[in-house]
Amino acid sequence: MATEVIVRDRPRTAAGTPPGARKDPRKDRGRVLRLYVPLGLYLVFTLVPFYWMIVFALRPTGSTAPVPWPITFEHFDTVWNDIGYAVFFKNSVIVGVLSLFFTTGIALMGGYALARFRFRGRTVFLVVLLCTQFIPGAMMLIPLFTIFKGLGLINSLWSLVIAGTVFNLPLSIILMSGFVSSVPFQVEEAAMVDGCTRGRAFLAVVLPQLRPGLVAVGSFAFIDTWNTFLFALMFISRQDNFTIPVGLSYTIGEYSADFGALAAGGVIAAVPVVLVFAVIQRYLVHGLSAGAVKG
Amino acid sequence: MRRITKVCSAAVAALALCVTAAACGSDSGGGGGGGEGSGATTITFWDNNGGVRTPIYQELIKRFEAANPTIKVEYVGIPIASVQQKYDTAIAGGETPDVGGVTTSYLANLTGQQALEPADAWLAGSAVNGKVLDSMLASVKQATPDGKLYMVPATSNLDVVWYQKDKLAEAGVEAPETWDEFFTAVGKLTKTPDQYGWTIRGGAGSIFQLLAEAYAYSGVTEFFDASGKSTVNDPANAELVGKIAALYKKATPEADVTNDFPKMVAQFTSGKVAMMHHNLGSYNDHVKAFGAEKIDAYPLPVGASGKRTIVANPVDGFGVFKNSEHKEAAWKFVEFLVSKENNSYWNQQTGQIPANKDAQQDAWIDERPYLKSAVEVLADPATVVVSPPYHLPQFSSITKADTEPLFQKVLLGQMKPQEFLDTMGQMLTEAQAEWKKSHSN
Repeated sequence: MATEVIVRDRPRTAAGTPPGARKDPRKDRGRVLRLYVPLGLYLVFTLVPFYWMIVFALRPTGSTAPVPWPITFEHFDTVWNDIGYAVFFKNSVIVGVLSLFFTTGIALMGGYALARFRFRGRTVFLVVLLCTQFIPGAMMLIPLFTIFKGLGLINSLWSLVIAGTVFNLPLSIILMSGFVSSVPFQVEEAAMVDGCTRGRAFLAVVLPQLRPGLVAVGSFAFIDTWNTFLFALMFISRQDNFTIPVGLSYTIGEYSADFGALAAGGVIAAVPVVLVFAVIQRYLVHGLSAGAVKG
Repeated sequence: MRRITKVCSAAVAALALCVTAAACGSDSGGGGGGGEGSGATTITFWDNNGGVRTPIYQELIKRFEAANPTIKVEYVGIPIASVQQKYDTAIAGGETPDVGGVTTSYLANLTGQQALEPADAWLAGSAVNGKVLDSMLASVKQATPDGKLYMVPATSNLDVVWYQKDKLAEAGVEAPETWDEFFTAVGKLTKTPDQYGWTIRGGAGSIFQLLAEAYAYSGVTEFFDASGKSTVNDPANAELVGKIAALYKKATPEADVTNDFPKMVAQFTSGKVAMMHHNLGSYNDHVKAFGAEKIDAYPLPVGASGKRTIVANPVDGFGVFKNSEHKEAAWKFVEFLVSKENNSYWNQQTGQIPANKDAQQDAWIDERPYLKSAVEVLADPATVVVSPPYHLPQFSSITKADTEPLFQKVLLGQMKPQEFLDTMGQMLTEAQAEWKKSHSN
């Protein structure tokens, strides 16, 4: 079956260009100066440390060449096999993924409760949640250590998962509460009128609309736990349970500094974070703005 | 679309399950001792400079376990920058290892928390009794208020000047013996902006190196005089600080004002700096960058007094922790590590000075001229050793947080060298007086 497509010409101005059409960006010098030059400079400024890292990771030890040539993968071999990144990487993934799931799950429930129910002490609870953000992790080190020791969790990856989840939860709950508020209750109510239970209505109507929020909260939890150094070193005293940040610090010794290995380790540590951002960045911007201003 | 969502959900659930199982699996075991079911005792060993040394210890542990089939050693490498915090947390939480790498620079902190077992009685009945260098034992005993031996020395170090042989040969310069020769050599080796004769450690860790240079120059023999006043601000020390500061930007890179150890070594190994003050410990870095045949080192030059004066480096060794449930096995492991063959192996790999007297006679030391001369300097009765006050709890903060920014001011011409040393001297004098007062009873 053929479909007829009607193409209508845009009305043209006297000069022959459609109204509202932009000038050719290549010829708009002002736009280039206003937009592209500052953006380009900022990009160079931001990417120089990454370039430095890649150069050091790929060029041979002792080379002072500004480009990574000849390319060598010896530093990657050192960190992966000699320093033990193969094990550290696996541990970091376990801790990061579990923390992501627990943080997102609990934040979802907490955020929903704060957004949908009015109960006594709600404001105080929110303020207390906010206040916990001002307590530095180092201050909680000894109390947490004692608690985990009592629970038999010292030297277990669970200590890092729990600590990561607990430290990420306050901000995550506040953010999630904003996301839930942005979904009109009437939509949920309509589903319940149609026969859904509250849980079913939440799963069928609210949850799909929270996707940006889930991505934002989950990615923050993952990245924060992925980068945790202090807890990873203090709660773990077994070589095969350390995580990537501890492995990175191995490359700077008392009397030696292996910059090639440090840079190669940095590349390995950065890859998952960069990938996570690449996948989620379109949700992230929307998610943050939606969660930040409503609540 | 719905099908894809279902598949994705199933995949995520499966991943979560796998990850949970893996996390649960890694929970098995538990550090620090306990039987393995086969009757073997497991002891935990914390390496206080984990990373670079890990393969060396793995080899030694393999040898130890082969010789002692009933003892298993669990190695844990602690990054050097966080080792004090790790020990402090472990002590507070009662989760210390059986054996730990310790240095005299934070020994007083550990003994202050009653964390370590004295080694005097054990050493007296040990196979290595009489084999460990007396000067190192004395250094360890000096670092604690009660004068007991809380760690067994394994290695020591010496401040040296590393240099690129070909750069000195090109400039027609011999390794300097005196400070006058040194400053002349720096001038000849400087061809800015392509080559600098010297590099100053202006950032983290600057003060210890500066003091080593100052005392080597002045020949002052004690850190405190008889009245308890610090000798740091001796006019001859200030003269040396002034001379070093005068080299800044003229014969050294401008970035030196923030140079910490990694940056300083990076500058030297990049080939742009001809000479650099550090210690024997960075040998492997230089060999990796230049090759063993292209680098060498000489001890810090001699000053006008004509006496070779050195500031004692921290002694590195092993301590057994009080909480250990397997002290006998722990001491056995320590004894193994400081025995001739193993102490020799460890120091050969790291390029440092063995604590075991017999190990110092090994052929590999003769094959490395810089190390041979370092051993000779330490063994020479004419060498004056200035012992830094590691016993002072404030020594670390005074020589780091309190005075490193002041030295940067000196380099930038915002403070006079004498004023800088007077400030540091006053802090040290007050800390020493306080320490004496609290230990007079």
